[in-house]
Amino acid sequence: MTEEDRLRQALSLREALLQSMLDIVPDGLVTIDTEGIIQSFNPSAQRAFGYIAAEVVGQNVSILMPRQHGEVHDGYLERYLRTGERRIIGIGRIVLGQRKDGSTFPMELQIGEVDIEGAHFFVGFVRDLTARREHERRMAELQAEVIHLSRLSDLGHMASAIAHEVNQPLAAIGNYMGGIRRLLTDDISPVLRQAIERVGAQAERARDIVNSMRGLVKKGDRPRESVNLETLIRETTALALVGTNRTVGLDLAVQPATLYGYVNKVQIQQVLLNLVRNAVEAMNGAPGSHLTIATERQGNRIAIAVSDTGPGLPESVRARLFQPFTTTKPDGLGVGLSICRTIVESHGGELSADPPSACGAVFRFSVPAGNDPEAPLS
Amino acid sequence: MSEAHSHVVAIVDDDAAVLESFQFLLEVAGFPVAAYASAHAFLASPFTRPRCLIVDQNMPTMTGLELAAQLRAAGVDVPVMLVTSAPTPGIEARARAIGVRGVLAKPLPEDEVFAFIRSCEPG
Repeated sequence: MTEEDRLRQALSLREALLQSMLDIVPDGLVTIDTEGIIQSFNPSAQRAFGYIAAEVVGQNVSILMPRQHGEVHDGYLERYLRTGERRIIGIGRIVLGQRKDGSTFPMELQIGEVDIEGAHFFVGFVRDLTARREHERRMAELQAEVIHLSRLSDLGHMASAIAHEVNQPLAAIGNYMGGIRRLLTDDISPVLRQAIERVGAQAERARDIVNSMRGLVKKGDRPRESVNLETLIRETTALALVGTNRTVGLDLAVQPATLYGYVNKVQIQQVLLNLVRNAVEAMNGAPGSHLTIATERQGNRIAIAVSDTGPGLPESVRARLFQPFTTTKPDGLGVGLSICRTIVESHGGELSADPPSACGAVFRFSVPAGNDPEAPLS
Repeated sequence: MSEAHSHVVAIVDDDAAVLESFQFLLEVAGFPVAAYASAHAFLASPFTRPRCLIVDQNMPTMTGLELAAQLRAAGVDVPVMLVTSAPTPGIEARARAIGVRGVLAKPLPEDEVFAFIRSCEPG
């Protein structure tokens, strides 16, 4: 083989390698000459803009832009060639691209320049941001939905929590009234007797009010279904971490046999949100912060444990953890965990915190196991 | 164990006002009462077999159901009545499974409390 042949072969190989790279690179690649005429248009660009290469090569690159920008692009190009002032080259910008069907989409654009021995080209790298924007929009939507639904649920549960608390003094009043009535002798004044009877009647009236408040949390409004717990836990954790600005290591250990739970999705999501947010706050961004969510099958229930690497719960806090209107947060209402406990109890489980240990806090609750809705009925 | 102990109605509630008022009501009605502010306090008491046990469910360090379960597991067959502000089908089912005699909603209906106590044989 001659030296020339060898060089030619090496060149061919190099070109084939580069070409295959250009073909698979996820960014769209558009090259243009100094007149703005498209020279090449890689597969990713074809996908992003909806043209095949043959449709655009040889045309002015302004066809890939919304009209207002397209009209001035030639001018920008000309100005750069004249002045050398970089407005976008090497800087990058988010702009709108226009597809073949006329629709526009957000894209991140980076431009490189090649100027070698009379060959002067510009290379545009296009990153389609549609998917990212869609994802962000979806997350914001999910978050708003969860917040809205949990607020509604909070109101009902708050009423229930208040009822719970008021029940205690009502019970005490009822007990004392019962004893007092038995102690009344026949010779006490009728006025006193009547007043005592009336106290009793008012206490019963208060009890009826409390009972009707409990009815505000009606089970009928809260349908249950078989839910994929792995997906639920993963999505809810992502939601809980959005906007926290804290780096937290995350471990999801969902056993295959624990995949489905028979739950009210929004309610269990609320419980998870609460626990994860508390865990993240406890860890407070310390290095090595790590959150673990693990599931385990226990008979026909699934146990879920949320563990953090924070300072843990002192026994004094643990003892009062689920009592409503107690909180360790400066602006906390203190209803979160008591509502979570009510939700878990309505699913037949118990929400608990492990006794203090050196490794951080562990919260546990269980839900009924569910069936894979897609699985054939056996 | 002396006979006096075995007539005793044991009551457990972490809310001091509820506990005291309940003791007051029962004593006025003629029942000897031993009152405890927690499940742990009851377990640590010298009584081995009260006439019956009326226990609140919602207590921080050990719930009423947990206490009932522990007693069953230890082979202690004291009749137990569970008291809760919010009786749910879940709690009632678990109470039945553990062998608790019944679940009453707070504030307690007096008649049912006395009926329960009278239905329990003095030990």
